[in-house]
Amino acid sequence: MTLVHHGEWYQRAMDCTSCNSTPTRPDRPHTFFAHEQAACPSCAAPLEARVVLRDGHVVQLIRCTACGPQERVVSHDADAWVRSFLDRGVVPEGLVGDHLFKHTTSTCPRCLALVAAQVVIRKDRVFFLKDCTRCGPSEALVSEDASYYVKAYSFARAGTEPLIFRNTAEHGCPTDCGTCDDHEQHTCLPIVEVTDHCNLECPICIVDNQYSKHMEPRTFAKIVDGLVEAEGSCESLAISGGEPTSHPEIVELLKIANRPEIGRVVLITNGIRLGKDRELAQTIKDMGVYVGLQLDGFTADVHTKIRGKDLVREKDAALAMLAELDIPTQLIFVATKGVNDHQIGQVVELFLSGSHFLSLNFQPVAYTGHGGGTFDHDPNDRLTIPGVIKRIDEQTGGKVNYTDFFPLPCSHPQCVSLTYLLRLDDGTSVPFARFVDFEKHATLLRSSATLPATPEVEDALADVIHDVFARQDEIERGPEILAALRRSLDEMFPKRPLSSRDAFRVSERQSKSIFLHHYMDRHDFDLERLRKCCHHYPQIDGRIMPACGFNMFHRGAAKGPDTPRAKFGRAPFSLPVIA
Amino acid sequence: MSTSGLCEGRVALVTGGSRGLGRAICVMLAREGAFVAFNYAKSDADADVTLAAIAAAGGRGSAHKVSVLDKPGLAALAKSLDTVHGKIDILVNNAGFGQVVPLALMEESDWDDMLDTHVKGAFLTTQAVLRIMVRQRYGRIVNVGSLAGVKMMQAPVHYATAKAALKGFTESLAKEIGRYGITVNCVAPGILDEGVSDHLPPGRKEEYLRHCALRRVGRLEEAATMIAFIASERASYTNGATLVVDGAV
Repeated sequence: MTLVHHGEWYQRAMDCTSCNSTPTRPDRPHTFFAHEQAACPSCAAPLEARVVLRDGHVVQLIRCTACGPQERVVSHDADAWVRSFLDRGVVPEGLVGDHLFKHTTSTCPRCLALVAAQVVIRKDRVFFLKDCTRCGPSEALVSEDASYYVKAYSFARAGTEPLIFRNTAEHGCPTDCGTCDDHEQHTCLPIVEVTDHCNLECPICIVDNQYSKHMEPRTFAKIVDGLVEAEGSCESLAISGGEPTSHPEIVELLKIANRPEIGRVVLITNGIRLGKDRELAQTIKDMGVYVGLQLDGFTADVHTKIRGKDLVREKDAALAMLAELDIPTQLIFVATKGVNDHQIGQVVELFLSGSHFLSLNFQPVAYTGHGGGTFDHDPNDRLTIPGVIKRIDEQTGGKVNYTDFFPLPCSHPQCVSLTYLLRLDDGTSVPFARFVDFEKHATLLRSSATLPATPEVEDALADVIHDVFARQDEIERGPEILAALRRSLDEMFPKRPLSSRDAFRVSERQSKSIFLHHYMDRHDFDLERLRKCCHHYPQIDGRIMPACGFNMFHRGAAKGPDTPRAKFGRAPFSLPVIA
Repeated sequence: MSTSGLCEGRVALVTGGSRGLGRAICVMLAREGAFVAFNYAKSDADADVTLAAIAAAGGRGSAHKVSVLDKPGLAALAKSLDTVHGKIDILVNNAGFGQVVPLALMEESDWDDMLDTHVKGAFLTTQAVLRIMVRQRYGRIVNVGSLAGVKMMQAPVHYATAKAALKGFTESLAKEIGRYGITVNCVAPGILDEGVSDHLPPGRKEEYLRHCALRRVGRLEEAATMIAFIASERASYTNGATLVVDGAV
């Protein structure tokens, strides 16, 4: 999150991502809340309804293949209904066995068919219970903290729509991906896979590299054009692969992406080439491109288990290059139970130590894709978001603690958790949750990284400043926080105005963020979460595919390299270039 | 004088409360039921007179020798009032002085003293008290301006500038903190029978009276009455206003 991008003072700093020259994306007409079992009001066929909150009412949106779209009001008091929903998550005292919280739609881990799932609480953890008619019953752990899981629903907020939907809802989610007009969130983070070549064979890889093609610059340009057409502007654009630095024309692609409608271009890389190719690193620096560095640990055994080889020297070289050139960096740590979860605190400490580290992204491993689909794992004993947060707390001695994190309602609240950290004048950081009441100011979490210049955000930030001002004696490091907020204003709004891009760069250095994003696999897949996915893969045919739906059904390697592709799935490189 | 308990149970801080209009405001707020703390910069004897007047009015109060330019002192004062009373409901930024001097003879130090006491003093005192008002989600801030800051009239330039600045301070701050149930208003008296008007040249006063519909200068308590009302809960929808108390000039 960049700080205080709001109000009249701050319009200048927002030019690059929310300027008036680009059309404004409309809000969804409702707040998507959850899925629940229902029946078609016309033919009584059992189906799954989308529950939304609209104008104080609770409405089931139903798509019956026989009768078409319909809706049914289930409550005229949304607040009371939400309270009763959350109350379903309270386990009766003395209960032995599973407590049913809700229902959703998941996948059979063996055949990938969509199946109904009971969401149950068992000993403070949350499991999906499924029973595939073809393959039989299965269970999967989906959260190591039932309280967190249940409470996350209270963070649900309305999404916004893209300017253009690439598909219409006909058969329902996830068949109509692209995104369809039933999708509940626009593209917050587009990820373009520019090559299916890689210089590693990661045992945990979630994609399905075919070593068949590097994307041509003109194709990439058309994808970016299509993205801008659909979104107006993008806060970020991630360039991924494969390993994107293996693309022979990667610099040309970065130039194409580096346009005014794109706030920041992020090159996602394993760092092998970056650490030894100073010319490339300097070009990245000069272009203002950001780097997302895959860094899953610090020891040879961890790298070998996760990435297939000892990468200690390569990672050290990449980190040194990024530090030397002061390239804005995101660290990406795929967290795997029993493999690298003991090094979580170490990566947090590294992240806090450098001002060029802007964000740290933990990804509890998803067992999907060419490597991940066959990676040894126990679906009932794995890391989930609360487990990673707990380790952050324990391994940093509470420097960043469990209560500093909140679900991000930008996506489905079960998908992402985050904390923002304000940079104090002494170089240390303090989590925003220590001085911001995020339950009261959930508006500040509605966007993924940059606060839009809306009146409600302006109000929320003014409240935050005044609240710290009023409670500075009670808040840990209160006066230092006020000083840092003041410094942020001075740096972002100096007497001589900055260009829009410079203002953006300065403002985002005022704080850091730690994200936890749990991609889904065949065990914990939740159609409800996919419904509001905002991390999307734009395709060469114009589709913009929600990430986990794409990984699970369209990429064709959900259970490893031999997984049959779902009948509605289409491979990314197999289609003609968009006109 | 009859009172109506406008400020019953409230805690007020009045700056420059040891003399003149400041003393009248202290007495009026005390009469209306407020506990009145006031600060002063110079005369302990004058402060004692104000304390006695508050007591004579049947009220309670406390005197604090802290300059409105002493930021740590103001912070300590606000904190001690908050500690003792648990709140500060009312702040009257009254501290100021008059000085008859044409621009041609005005020293830089004259300008600085005038602007510092009126404007910087209001800023520092308000900042010290505001955090308490934000926390309690209630407050009444009244800035004592002047007709000289509102109308074009023959008044010392630095004085008129300082009082006009308080009008701007009032309006901007009202917008900024209204969301917390805090109102900010300015009361702008014309010439009064005591206080900064004492040293006005006779010609100026005569000119004033020629233009005043009521054909007299105001009394301190008439201005203080308006301030007490604006500082009361009853003035709940008056915000960002400058209320002129001048008998219609």
